[in-house]
Amino acid sequence: MSWFQGLRLSADFSAPAQAGVLLLVVATCVLLGFETRGHRERRIWLFVSGAVGAIFLAGAVLRPSRLQSEGRKVPGLVVVLTDSSHRLDLPVSEGTTRSDVAARTIATLKSQWSESRVEVRKFGAALYGDDIPNDADPHRSDLLAALRGLAGFEGERPALIVALSDGRFFRPVEAAGEDWSKTLLSLAAGLPVDTVALVDETPRDRSIRRVGVTGSAIAHQPFNLALEVGCEPKESCAKVEVVVRELLEGLDPVELARGKADGSDGIAQLELQVILEQAGGRIIEVELLSDQEDDISENDKRILPIQVRRDRLRMLHVAGRPTYDVRALRMFLKSDESIDLVSFFILRTMEDQVDARPDEMALIPFPVDELFSEHLRSFDAVILQDINAREYELDRHFRSIADYVMKGGGLILVGGPTGFSSGGYAGSAVEDVLPVELPKGGEVVSTKSFVPNYTRQGMAAPMLAGLRSSMSGELPEMNGTNILGRPRAGAVVLWEHPTLEQAGVSGGDRMPVLALREVGDGRSIAISVDGTHRLRFGEAGSRSGGGAYADLWGGLLGWLMRDPRYEAAQVRLMGDCIAGRDQILRVDSIAAADVPVEVKLERLGSGKAEVTTLSASGSTKDGGRRFVAPGLIAGGYAASVKVGDAPPTRFVFSCEAGGDSWSDSRPDRERLRRIAQETGGRFVDARDVSELEPPRSTFVSASKKSQPLISAWIWATLAALSMCAHWVLRRAVGMA
Amino acid sequence: MKTWLNASIHERREFCRNGALALTSLFLSEECLAFGEDGAFHARLLQAGEGELQEELGAARQWARELTRRTSAPGRLAAESVRPESGALLQEPFVVWAGSEDPGVFSPGALRSLREYLTMGGILLVDDRNPASSGAFKAGAQRELARVLPQSGVLRLPPDHVLYKTFYLLEQPVGRLRGPDWIDAIYQGKSAQVFFLSHDLLGALAREGDSWKYPMEGGGSESREQAVRFAVNIAMYVLCSDYKDDQVHAPFLMRRRHKRR
Repeated sequence: MSWFQGLRLSADFSAPAQAGVLLLVVATCVLLGFETRGHRERRIWLFVSGAVGAIFLAGAVLRPSRLQSEGRKVPGLVVVLTDSSHRLDLPVSEGTTRSDVAARTIATLKSQWSESRVEVRKFGAALYGDDIPNDADPHRSDLLAALRGLAGFEGERPALIVALSDGRFFRPVEAAGEDWSKTLLSLAAGLPVDTVALVDETPRDRSIRRVGVTGSAIAHQPFNLALEVGCEPKESCAKVEVVVRELLEGLDPVELARGKADGSDGIAQLELQVILEQAGGRIIEVELLSDQEDDISENDKRILPIQVRRDRLRMLHVAGRPTYDVRALRMFLKSDESIDLVSFFILRTMEDQVDARPDEMALIPFPVDELFSEHLRSFDAVILQDINAREYELDRHFRSIADYVMKGGGLILVGGPTGFSSGGYAGSAVEDVLPVELPKGGEVVSTKSFVPNYTRQGMAAPMLAGLRSSMSGELPEMNGTNILGRPRAGAVVLWEHPTLEQAGVSGGDRMPVLALREVGDGRSIAISVDGTHRLRFGEAGSRSGGGAYADLWGGLLGWLMRDPRYEAAQVRLMGDCIAGRDQILRVDSIAAADVPVEVKLERLGSGKAEVTTLSASGSTKDGGRRFVAPGLIAGGYAASVKVGDAPPTRFVFSCEAGGDSWSDSRPDRERLRRIAQETGGRFVDARDVSELEPPRSTFVSASKKSQPLISAWIWATLAALSMCAHWVLRRAVGMA
Repeated sequence: MKTWLNASIHERREFCRNGALALTSLFLSEECLAFGEDGAFHARLLQAGEGELQEELGAARQWARELTRRTSAPGRLAAESVRPESGALLQEPFVVWAGSEDPGVFSPGALRSLREYLTMGGILLVDDRNPASSGAFKAGAQRELARVLPQSGVLRLPPDHVLYKTFYLLEQPVGRLRGPDWIDAIYQGKSAQVFFLSHDLLGALAREGDSWKYPMEGGGSESREQAVRFAVNIAMYVLCSDYKDDQVHAPFLMRRRHKRR
């Protein structure tokens, strides 16, 4: 049979024509058989000569040839997919990680399969190239995404795929109503997938497997944290205690909740009720308290950012006396349906002669102790407008107010004859959280009228953009001001006095009139005048129909409450932060490319201020600026981003040693076994990787040529000679 | 020696109180409009016609004086009048329109200016000083304000309106004249912005030398005291809007009213 291999007939004829010629030859032979039936003498010779002549004639027509190929055998291509998720950094034994096992296994495969071509590709959330993208999710290992990436790769199709992992994939995974084997088979496209388990022993480990928020986290309202603790061995889940803390800037962690659970079958579940008083990005720490032996301690603690929404804004507005300035602010706050406003105005002092019995008056005592001790944390912001702290015993709560700001509250001090230094704020704990220093003696108010000037920062500040636009950059005249001192570190001055200098600084800069500051987890604003109501009524107000007042206070309150519209920059992480690795922060702003951007980083919950300035690391293609935070230790962080002269933007994030991918350290050998089974591959442990068989070599054709069996003229000559012989024999036996 | 700058707010207020009568209006406006007095209550008078308003201006000064004496609110002693069509109307959020005869017809400029004033949240108190003469002033004012705010009708203020509890607890409006025990008002949104009084409130506050200019109709000093209290409440409404309607005050004030009855 091998002789016939590679035989081809002339391509001048179509297959039906070739079949027709062969049929004619057969028919000729049959006719010859019938014709020579009556001639016993020389019958065989008659038949043979005729048939041979017909065959030669057919050969001359069809011209058979042999197709010859030349080439070589090439070793089979093996693609080794190695899991590169952060889970592979889990320790297997002292000083050895799952990644180390994977590296050793690859080395073994390469040495044993030296006849094969072994190509190693990393995968995680997707199939990676030579470099893992900065924004790739480090916790995810998705084998299906890797196979999809491989299928879409233009190049030689591999003969075998070998997957190295601990088996705890993000996908494929058993999910209700989803048959992952079909997807797997489709993506493998008929190729066998050999799987290698990098871990064969389950570590002794108790870990926080899952932290879920039931419902939405809304400021001031309790919400539930659903926690799941997993234990290996299973009986170690019998008694589990978890504590939840909030990490704040410059303060020690603040405990929010604590709970215990008794678990069975290796799982303990509990729900803890938590209240976060301040909206925006908050960082919580969930810690599993354990005195048991644990191979992996890093996953006993999770540090998570929680975005706390605001259902309504709760504001406390306290004023020392009713004025048009108080009226304007109250009416602005009341006009916003999303604000829950609690107001307390001092309507009567002890010197006032009311000429009435108490029961004839609609006055209630100022509940200063109740407000500033019991309820303070329930407010998103506190406005102290022209109130004498000494006279109304507010000074007894200065420490609480300062703590409130440090823990995320907003504070605005509005000027007036009894505000700032006149009201006893100088040298107090409240002064420490203000954007400005306050004079302790000398002149504390100026009664001279003036028009404040915008500073460079004020001209760039997004929270004043509306006011600058509606007033064409002008400001109304103010009838005097409280005297303020130097701006504090990190404060931004937006308006300054045209002539007065900062108190206590000879030859210093102009005195701040409007300044703001990020302090601790909170923000504070100081405005030294009591005449912003002129933006609502008055010449300035009438120019904008009163809208300029809303532009000013809407912007200030928006900034105080971290409304993104009033931030100069948008900040985000590129990928999840893993402790010990360099982390890139991306800063986007509408500022021009040559405007300097400064990023400072502070660790939360450390009880002290540890500020690091990050270095820039170029820009992204679409104009975002990159900053590198080198090798952060696990914890919560606050980044303060300053774009040019604009007030800083604050961004909080967490950095974990383990994170999601370490929350469940158990290997999943069964999943690896099933993947191999479904695709027709083999499953082995890493130590048995030598049992895997390399793919066979593949013949690769280099050239092909067609060689005629006999030249066409020889076929024709032979046919003619056979026909002549046949004719002579026919004549010899008397046939026509 | 204590100076103006390092004096306490009470000392400064006392200075204004004591000095006010002796000093000219001009002088007062220069000194007492210093820091802290810019946002003080100021009962400006709407000069719609050509008549003299000296008596009303004196009453407005007395109004500020009573407010400053009885409450923590600053009051501006330099009373002044503004024409409805002038830009000065938009300088502050309160104006009193007092009269006793039909005020005539507003010019287009006055209509536009008043509409802008009320749209910005300004408060207008219409005080009919002589309702007995067929109420021509109040009727004329309502007619003209209907042109200013054609979409808004006149409503009767409910007896539990915040105006009766902004500082003193009062049962009804009180002025020199014994008028109706209700007030008509025009609302803009949820807030009453125009009040129609038929009680000659300014008459109750008007002074002549060291004594009150007019006797109170149907009562003596007690009635005058109630009128002053009502004026203080109006000033507090101007300064604090519906502050005393806040939920935090509600149970307290309800208990106190119930006890008084």
